Amino acid sequence: MKLYPVVLVLLLTGCIGTAPVKQKWPEAPQTLTEKCEDLKKIEGDSVAITEMLKVVIHNYTLYYECSTKVEGWKEWYNEQKKIYESVK
Amino acid sequence: MWQFQWMVGLIPDEMLSLIYWIIIAAGITGLIAGWLGKWVPFYGKYAGVLKPIGIILLALGVWLRGGYDTEMAWRDKVNKLEEQVKVAEEKANNKTVEIQKVIVEKTKVIREKGKTQIQYVDRVVTQDKEVIKFIENCPIPRVIIEEHNKATIPPESVKELNKAAESKK
Repeated sequence: MKLYPVVLVLLLTGCIGTAPVKQKWPEAPQTLTEKCEDLKKIEGDSVAITEMLKVVIHNYTLYYECSTKVEGWKEWYNEQKKIYESVK
Repeated sequence: MWQFQWMVGLIPDEMLSLIYWIIIAAGITGLIAGWLGKWVPFYGKYAGVLKPIGIILLALGVWLRGGYDTEMAWRDKVNKLEEQVKVAEEKANNKTVEIQKVIVEKTKVIREKGKTQIQYVDRVVTQDKEVIKFIENCPIPRVIIEEHNKATIPPESVKELNKAAESKK
């Protein structure tokens, strides 16, 4: 009678196991991994206001480029997470 | 243990299933023969031996059969999972390409807009009489340029954090 639990455990050892399937997390798009450019400075001692305006426009452009990347990262991560978690 | 599994793996699945059923059948037969043998003349003396053999064979057969069924269930699960993973990886790659395309397109539009605006400044704004008058009479003070340039540099603490993050890579 004392041997029953041992026998039962031995008989159930065949039921232990894990599925050897691994899901790979995808590589991020190359565009997203590029660093955001540094902002441009105004060069020179005597600068016309139009030159200053051009630097400001350039920097605004850089901001929008960078914010597009950040939004892209968010979208990419959320979509990949959804796909990753759909495998069960 | 793996040698045993490797050897078992060489036998076709259908054959294995049949072997396990034969072991179980032999175990049950041994048990019944051991139980009934007591009443059969001349045979009764073997009944005592058949019973434990029957029990061992039955236990072994049930264990092997259970393992086989579990193995089949796992294989089925693994196949389904592999299929799901394949579909998911394909979906993930497609999504990555799709997002990459959108970002490239957006960046192109943004750069184009910036370029057009700078060209407009060069072509139109600099020709404006009021602007020309302003440029001639009001140079931008040095301090304004310095403050603007200072704002383009990230704070020292952020720079240090960036450096630390880079060195960890």
